[in-house]
Amino acid sequence: MVKSGERRWLALAAAVLYVFLLAPVVIVVIAALNSGTYLRFPPEGLSLRWFQSFAHSRTMVRSFKFSVELAAIVTAIATVIGTTASLWLVRFSGRFRTVMRLMMIAPIAVPGILTGIALLIYFYAIGWGKSGGLWELVVGHTLICIPYVVLIVSAVLVRFDRSLEEAARNLGAGPLVTFRRVTLPLIKGAVISGAIFAFVTSYDEFNISLLLHGIGTVPLPIELFDYLRFSFDPTLAVAGTISIAMAVLVVLITERLVGLEALYLG
Amino acid sequence: MAVLARGEIAPGRAPARDAARHLLVAPVAVLLFGFFVLPYLNLLVISTMTPSPTAAYLRIFTLSNYTRIAGDAFTWGVILHTLEIGVLTTVIALAVSYPLAYHLARAPRARKGLLMALVISPLLVGVLIRTYGWMILLQDTGLINQALAALGLRALPLMYNDLGVMIGLVHVFIPFMVLAIAGPIRGIDPELELAARSLGAGFWRTFWRVTFPLSVPGVVAGTILVFVLTISSYVIPSLLGGFKVLTVPILVIRTITELFNWPGGSAFAILFFAITIAVLWAYLRALGRAAHPAA
Amino acid sequence: MAEIRLRGLTKHFGEVAAVSGLTLEAASGELVALLGPSGCGKTTTLRMVAGFETPTAGRIMLGERDVTEVAPERRNCGMVFQHYALFPHLTAAQNVAFGLEMRQVSRSEIARRVAAILERVGLGGLEGRFPRQLSGGQQQRTALARALVINPSVLLLDEPLANLDAKLREEMRFYIRSLQREFGITTLYVTHDQAEALVLADRVAVMMDGVLRQFDAPEEIYHRPRSAAVAAFIGLTNLLPGRVASRSKDALVVETPAGHVRGRGVTGLGPGARAVVSIRPEHIDLDGDAAGPPDSADGPNRLRGVVAERTFLGAITDFRIDVGGGVLVRVQGRGSAAHRAGDRVVVSFAEDTAWAVPADEGRPAADRAAGER
Repeated sequence: MVKSGERRWLALAAAVLYVFLLAPVVIVVIAALNSGTYLRFPPEGLSLRWFQSFAHSRTMVRSFKFSVELAAIVTAIATVIGTTASLWLVRFSGRFRTVMRLMMIAPIAVPGILTGIALLIYFYAIGWGKSGGLWELVVGHTLICIPYVVLIVSAVLVRFDRSLEEAARNLGAGPLVTFRRVTLPLIKGAVISGAIFAFVTSYDEFNISLLLHGIGTVPLPIELFDYLRFSFDPTLAVAGTISIAMAVLVVLITERLVGLEALYLG
Repeated sequence: MAVLARGEIAPGRAPARDAARHLLVAPVAVLLFGFFVLPYLNLLVISTMTPSPTAAYLRIFTLSNYTRIAGDAFTWGVILHTLEIGVLTTVIALAVSYPLAYHLARAPRARKGLLMALVISPLLVGVLIRTYGWMILLQDTGLINQALAALGLRALPLMYNDLGVMIGLVHVFIPFMVLAIAGPIRGIDPELELAARSLGAGFWRTFWRVTFPLSVPGVVAGTILVFVLTISSYVIPSLLGGFKVLTVPILVIRTITELFNWPGGSAFAILFFAITIAVLWAYLRALGRAAHPAA
Repeated sequence: MAEIRLRGLTKHFGEVAAVSGLTLEAASGELVALLGPSGCGKTTTLRMVAGFETPTAGRIMLGERDVTEVAPERRNCGMVFQHYALFPHLTAAQNVAFGLEMRQVSRSEIARRVAAILERVGLGGLEGRFPRQLSGGQQQRTALARALVINPSVLLLDEPLANLDAKLREEMRFYIRSLQREFGITTLYVTHDQAEALVLADRVAVMMDGVLRQFDAPEEIYHRPRSAAVAAFIGLTNLLPGRVASRSKDALVVETPAGHVRGRGVTGLGPGARAVVSIRPEHIDLDGDAAGPPDSADGPNRLRGVVAERTFLGAITDFRIDVGGGVLVRVQGRGSAAHRAGDRVVVSFAEDTAWAVPADEGRPAADRAAGER
């Protein structure tokens, strides 16, 4: 343990770092609510004009809608197949366990840009890339969302007491009924939590989208990136604030359902 | 699903039952093979094709994509600069994250949830949004320079240079480093530190002789993760560097999306990936030698 | 009620044989305890009967039905798990109702039967509680109710008392026994606690290293073990290694390092055979050696010795007596508390309390003698 003097220094250092961590995030929210174009001190007053400006920007709204739609499709796919894959990984995998486990995590371990390039060239080679871009993006995003679902769901499955399922079987429930009545209700939290992570990951994804987006299929981060390169008004901050609100929700729900500590620190 | 149910009725009749079980992993396996393994293999192949101004590439084998990069001083400059930013960012992120990780790991149970949330929430806000926040703070007319001006000080160039890029990168990767280090620290029995103190070691000696060595696995994992993420990041160097800072990912993307030289871009990406792995290998070897000086 | 018949039941996990050639029958309504140290294969056996493990070889019959390859949900075995395995997301009543719902029993019938059985196990009023809101004993009784409410053809209990404190454990032994009698249900009861097995079971099956070592009534197992290993495992005993000197119809004499011992023994143990004599500490009398002439101490089953160690255990006192020849004899009794360490004493025991068994091949039985619990 740290002696009280040193502990105070540690707490102070930690506090400074937390401020550093949160500063840009808080600034974005303030910029969205500030009435002026540039953020100044003292702020020029509260206003929702940038929210209106966001709502009136057709490209922004279109990208926002597209990102939500894309994230919804990706979440649905990644959650279902990620959960079944976790079940396999924890319960039934034999010889190929280590290989499959590594493979499932690999998409977030290799640089996203590299995966994006590989997919771009591959889709061209197999003759995709003409369908407007939605399904290419779905595939790319699903690849990088599956690791999160697998990590979260298998973390809970590993601790799952198998004798509960045996008890259900013993009482006359077949394998499917056992899954529906016993297993699923007990891992529900992890599945929901994995789904939320998948949604946020897809919604914020940049690298793969940069290479795979099409003309009618521009996810919001790409739209924001293009916007940021040339202009600088707080309409963007509004998009950021929406994203931050989602993040806060995710943290709250995850802490509730799985416990952040258990998830990240094993 | 019907297959699954039928297979389960006769437990232990292995083949049918096992085959049904593997249906659980089939979709992910197909996705990973068809859209992850194959594209990477394809990337390798394309990197040896001949670039062409009129087609995506010509199906003629060549190693010139690699040799051209290997002989180009400008490209090597960008590679070295990227690695330099990577090393500096990793070192700074480690120095900054360690105290935070220690504080988090040893926080009272009741406060841990809140602190975890503080560390993780930036992670969930897109990189783009956070970078935008830094732009508001760091640009020439940004909040920090406004504050400096108000104090009668000269404005500092905080953005569109390496400094701005590294501030952004360190900020983005602190949560990864903290999470990697906090795990092992949490696993260290606090009584070990008490024992060291009771044997007469001061705070720093206890830290260097007991706490730090036991947290090394987390430090290794964290530094590797942050280094790899840093040198492959695109958004932050582009925006906070304002295209005045050139890194490998920026150059690769430019080769692919603006020059449409897919074979050249692929070769460059693969070469850089190989260099990254070589750097990590050297790093792990150096660590191994530090741990066992005799060998 | 169905009887349970296991025929040559064998289970290999890779190279390891967890259970080898187990043949066992539990008669209708009988409670059979599977007793053995951890890793002896008793739990694997139970799991094979329940259908959670597939035997490598052998058959499992419940009544006239061969269930060896039947899925667990179609065996109609009631089972109580070691950690109860109560569904944490269901209330006590919902837990108990689960098996009935699986059997498509009508709602009103379910409600009636759940209420009745919960009342019977003393959980009336707690039906709405979740498992985590129940005490260990209450969870245990919920698990019992859940297993019994489906009218199973047999009942399987896997160390059901292992997670209760000592006092509650004793109470629950009698409770389970009376419940089992009332339902008249054929029961397999896995335990590593020999006291539990002796108290509860009609017959005890002692398993070691995956092999059935003895299958008998508790009194037989305790007083007339078939091997040194079983003798050492059940209760506390002194094991004196030696060689059979002579044998009459009932009695035999064994030459041990501490002297000649007259006793009874396993049939087939003839003169010249290597043997181990088991004498329970509570069957040994301890007398002072000061009185009388030295010779009077000698006689059949009277050994001279010195008190090496004396431990006060409350109701009884435990002695270790050095009787020479490198043999320490453990004695436990009420009346002899007066002796102190270093006192010269005479230990004696009746002929019918010394029981000789064949020496285990390759295992020095004396090492595992008295000192062990």
